[in-house]
Amino acid sequence: MSSQDHNEQSNGAGYSGFGPEWRPVKLTSREAQQATAWVEARIDRREMLTRKDRVEDVRDRMWELEKAGEIVVHRIGEQHEPVSGRTLYGWTKRIPTNQLWHHKSCGQCGNIPGYPSSLLWLQNKLGIRYLDETDQTSCTAWNYHGSGIGNIVSLAAVFLRNFHQAYVSAQAEGLPAGYYYPLVHCGTSFGNYKEVRSYLLRSAELRAKVRPILAKLGRLVDGKLLIPEEVVHYSEWLHVMRERIAQHRVIDCSGIRATIHPACHVYKMVPEDVLYDETVMDGNRMAVSTGLMQTLGAQVVDYSTWYDCCGFGFRHIIGEREFTRSFAIDRKLKVAVEEAHADVMIGHDTGCITTLDKSQWIGGAVDKVYPLAVMADCQFAALACGAHPYKLAQLHWHASPFEGLLQKLGIDVEQAKAEFEAYLGKVAAGRSETLYDPKRAITSGPGYVPRRALAGTAT
Amino acid sequence: MATAPLIGDPLSPTPAVAQETLQAVFEDIRSHPLFEHELHGCLNCGICTATCPSAHYYDYSPREIVQLLLTENLEGIHEAMQEKIWACAQCYTCAARCPFHNSPGGLVMIMREVAIKHGMQSAKDVLKPFTRVLMKLITTGNQLAPNMITPDAFADWGPNVAKIKAPLKTLRMAIPVPTLRTMDTAWEVNLKTSIELYTIWEASGVLQQLETIDPNLFDVVSDLMDEKRDEYQEWLEEQQEASSPD
Repeated sequence: MSSQDHNEQSNGAGYSGFGPEWRPVKLTSREAQQATAWVEARIDRREMLTRKDRVEDVRDRMWELEKAGEIVVHRIGEQHEPVSGRTLYGWTKRIPTNQLWHHKSCGQCGNIPGYPSSLLWLQNKLGIRYLDETDQTSCTAWNYHGSGIGNIVSLAAVFLRNFHQAYVSAQAEGLPAGYYYPLVHCGTSFGNYKEVRSYLLRSAELRAKVRPILAKLGRLVDGKLLIPEEVVHYSEWLHVMRERIAQHRVIDCSGIRATIHPACHVYKMVPEDVLYDETVMDGNRMAVSTGLMQTLGAQVVDYSTWYDCCGFGFRHIIGEREFTRSFAIDRKLKVAVEEAHADVMIGHDTGCITTLDKSQWIGGAVDKVYPLAVMADCQFAALACGAHPYKLAQLHWHASPFEGLLQKLGIDVEQAKAEFEAYLGKVAAGRSETLYDPKRAITSGPGYVPRRALAGTAT
Repeated sequence: MATAPLIGDPLSPTPAVAQETLQAVFEDIRSHPLFEHELHGCLNCGICTATCPSAHYYDYSPREIVQLLLTENLEGIHEAMQEKIWACAQCYTCAARCPFHNSPGGLVMIMREVAIKHGMQSAKDVLKPFTRVLMKLITTGNQLAPNMITPDAFADWGPNVAKIKAPLKTLRMAIPVPTLRTMDTAWEVNLKTSIELYTIWEASGVLQQLETIDPNLFDVVSDLMDEKRDEYQEWLEEQQEASSPD
């Protein structure tokens, strides 16, 4: 080994073997680069996913099962004003754009409330009819992936229960079943529900196990399981609506350098059901978020670790955050700041936003300070369309330094903060504002008051 | 009757494990309904481990998990279930990369479920910090609540968890989405909804899992949900009385 090679030695950063046999491979950095070059050359391409054997389109089974009388499909109708997109293999996926049932995310609502409020605000701006109600559980998949408590039967039953509620929810307003179509907020819910739907469609045994549970809950349709035609993520709605959203843009975003963090459970779980668009990064990245940011006029900057996860870990964010913050800082924040010189990292999932936003402060303890604003795509879009950064986008729940980004967007941070603090006085006095009539949120059980049709108005 | 031999590394502090136990654990993994969906073949290419976030920081390799299961290495599988399987971050990068459509992350989930079924100490230890979360999830369907994010519990998130200094209740009331004006749950959860979810937990064997891992938590949850069911039943009876002709 030459002295130069010796100097380049990567301090045993690579390992071979497994278990007790693990040992440092002592690759030089040149050798390490060579060893991973094959991977590096492909991970930046959509080919990484498409060069494998093509999987079946599970929707074919869905239509067959409906024809055989075993399931009922919650269809996306003309009333949902669908817009078509293309998925990994070029298949068509119809995205409903109106009459939407918001399936909330426990992490977003508990921790990043500006995430759902920005989405609802954008929908109000575009005159979209929707329902945000209390009769829904989380998908329970954060817990499952973190703890192992749960199983395919419980996950499938929760999926069918929540989507059945979406189907019947409009009846509380005197409207027909199927009026609203579910729009999933959380990335993990989206991935989990797509996975569960495919298992349900493939496994008669699983269908046989969940049917009596749904029957007990009174959540069958004509004695059959209800399956949604598509499982739709809110980021897909943003993507197909991006031109219409951009028409409401009031802030120049052209000076903003944005990095995108694609969420693992959005595009790595059931990858065949993810939107790709040849006009967005040549179709080599999933289209959502990137397409929106580009349409809003921001500069989307690529970076070498775009495909890495955020470090959330599901279990780790709760009980082992040493891993979470180390990975978030070393593999995402550091790269976005030093390599991409980003002003903001945009995400489209609960756990990623939480991790990347909240893991920054602790970096100071080890001289790893990479300040970077972190927010969801819909929050940035709302800001670009004139939403109040605190009152509406609720950025005060974020720990990352978003103030510099706001200044770059021409927003007076101090004034906005003062306005919000003044508003808090009104809130404390019981005079708070809402995005819709709160009476619509309870559709059954205690607190529900039967009423005449509200015609789905989103006021 | 002859006693089955115990399997174990004589140099390892880990207690030897009976062959029947090793076999039973593996059979539970192999007979899991998703096992064949997650495992197809392996060329040991290592692309899964090359892009695995957990492999950066732990003695963990998705390739090892696949190989142990493919070669039916019972001792190795049992050993991996003592710690390694809990390192996986569940990002499914491995599954997206694998040319064989394997899902090491999915296999890890099967192994975690089986670790819980067998009441392995590793599962009990790892899930200790989950007590509050499990309690919240099982009884309300929410994994997280605003009042769980306290500076004490999340000191490493720093002093700016909320950049505006105001009582949590006021900040929650200032959210323009009415269903989010809550403290104990992420959104306001309908009583009927939590009862339905509990019925799912009961019918799908999840409560059995909980009882195996944490009997005390199981008792607390059972009592709480009994109260909720009584409350809901009373409400139903009130509705019935109110709607009866006399």
